[in-house]
Amino acid sequence: MGSRVLPEPVERLIEEFSRLPGIGPKTASRLAFFLLRAPKDQAAQLAEALQQLRERITFCEICYNISETSPCPVCADDTRDHGLICVVEEPLDVVAVERTREFHGVYHVLHGVISPVDGVGPEDLKIEPLLERIRQGGVREVIVATNPNMEGEATAMYLARLLAPLGVRATRLARGLPMGSDLEYADEITLLRALEGRREI
Amino acid sequence: MRLKRLTLVNFRNYSRLEIAFDRPLIVLQGDNAQGKSNLLEAIYMLATSKSPRAGSDRDLLNWFAESDIQPYARIDAEVERGSRTERIEITVLKTNGGTNGPAVRKQIRINGVNRRALDLLGHLNVVLFVPQDVELVDGSPSVRRRYLDIMLCQINPRYCRALSEYSHAVVQRSHLLRRLRERPGDPAQLAYWDEMLTTRGSEVIAWRRRAVIALDQLASAIHHELANGSELLRLKYQPSLPIPEALQPPLGLDMAVAQEEIAQIQAAFAERLARLRPAELHQGACLVGPHRDDLRFLVNGRDLQTYGSRGQQRTAALSLKMAETRLMHAETGEHPVLLLDDVLSELDAKRRECLLEAVNGVEQAILTTTDLTLFSADFLAQADSLRVTEGCIQRLNVGSGPDG
Ligand SMILES: Nc1ncnc2c1ncn2[C@@H]1O[C@H](COP(=O)(O)OP(=O)(O)OP(=O)(O)O)[C@@H](O)[C@H]1O
Ligand SMILES: [Mg+2]
Repeated sequence: MGSRVLPEPVERLIEEFSRLPGIGPKTASRLAFFLLRAPKDQAAQLAEALQQLRERITFCEICYNISETSPCPVCADDTRDHGLICVVEEPLDVVAVERTREFHGVYHVLHGVISPVDGVGPEDLKIEPLLERIRQGGVREVIVATNPNMEGEATAMYLARLLAPLGVRATRLARGLPMGSDLEYADEITLLRALEGRREI
Repeated sequence: MRLKRLTLVNFRNYSRLEIAFDRPLIVLQGDNAQGKSNLLEAIYMLATSKSPRAGSDRDLLNWFAESDIQPYARIDAEVERGSRTERIEITVLKTNGGTNGPAVRKQIRINGVNRRALDLLGHLNVVLFVPQDVELVDGSPSVRRRYLDIMLCQINPRYCRALSEYSHAVVQRSHLLRRLRERPGDPAQLAYWDEMLTTRGSEVIAWRRRAVIALDQLASAIHHELANGSELLRLKYQPSLPIPEALQPPLGLDMAVAQEEIAQIQAAFAERLARLRPAELHQGACLVGPHRDDLRFLVNGRDLQTYGSRGQQRTAALSLKMAETRLMHAETGEHPVLLLDDVLSELDAKRRECLLEAVNGVEQAILTTTDLTLFSADFLAQADSLRVTEGCIQRLNVGSGPDG
């Protein structure tokens, strides 16, 4: 074995950075040397943030969103409508729906979509806990808000099958033209869907 | 339609090229390895967004530009369609991100606006003739499927969308079948992918069937002429599932009138899937559908792939390509731009003459050759002759046409 050129702690950090998605060996070294030269508390703050990430964040036992508490603030909120569940793929989707300030129901995070190519089947998603929530009663409607691509549709259709015998209303987000877009340039599928989802004015 | 102007920057062995095309016929003469095929490749990409050669988009970057700070290759052209002129730009950029080292990104702009590859289709249509076209007859079924796909995608982007969704569904469904074979799970998961497979697949089948019926008629007539009237060429679509006979003899590729036909094919497809379910679960693969289609060439009733001579196979491939040119014109109302890469030297005098005659009928044809003597003086007099030398182009003669 050749002698080590870089001190062990530097090499180790570079190695850890390289494991992260989207970071190659070059970027990893750059980040490591940046931290080496940065003020001492910057590195300390990063280390602390990383530690807190895993120590303080858990999954909500009801909706499986990431949270500091379980149940999460949304599930613990009595003013929200617990009979209306919005099913999303990822925690960031919850953030997106919350930004509308118009949804007052609760959520369920699947943590992925059915995608055989990526080796993800229904048993890898939080589907069973969702069904269990519904079986316990009190749920009127489930809005399936997975993404409008094939995997999102496959997941929605699979859920719809499971929800049907449970006697809840299952709905899907309407698809249409994005705001600020140009009708002339919309592709035909988007336009077709927007036509299907038209409403009275 | 025709190409009015072409600019290449760092594309293959062209570090910078700017050229205007004035006449309908353009002959590019050059020794081997000077950049003739590279130029046709660039034009082909303007039509389809993809290179006709295998390999990655990375190979398109000029080697000597690879060490630039921001390496890129650009194809920039103006296309005239009827009275409209459109600008198409394709830029291949090297990006240094990504976990697998450097990659390239392709950016497409139409009239200055960023577009997807799908949106590019139909703005410029081309038919490329190459000596390897004989592989259409003697190659594997995948060569023939690819051929039909590229042609149909150019004729109508709807086909392209159906095909790409179909292909996506085949990949997902195959993985799912494999997974279900390895560890039994809920087969209800198949329902969505079955639906995608049969809806998109039946559309693909209907288009291909209609295209082959149209090509069969056209190619038959052309082949008759090329082969001295002694041979009857027939093209036969061979779908991987038995499909119901068309309700009425299909006329052209107007799919709006084919909804009933598509529905029938879909029903047949679904029935076939249901019957194959145990076998598919056992083998863990999609066993039926357009990804297993084929196209057969018959001369006087005999399969050319097995029984044809090399010359017969070449003639059949040429007939098919010429038929494609006519079909595109009939379907889109525009003549495609013909790109003939070094094909004349492969042909005997009679076939050469026939091909050049067809070439004369379109709005624009660009031909490459190492040897100008393959062309008649008459032909050259009408054409713009250009010489290609190491990625540079120089006008040889301005022919003695009306403005010469
Ligand atoms: N990315 C690239 N950068 C620079 N040169 C390249 C690149 N890719 C290919 N070439 C070179 O371009 C040259 C011309 O290729 P091309 O296929 O266009 O030749 P041609 O004129 O068609 O020759 P032939 O008559 O033999 O078919 C080749 O020598 C090849 O090595
Ligand atoms: Mg060549």
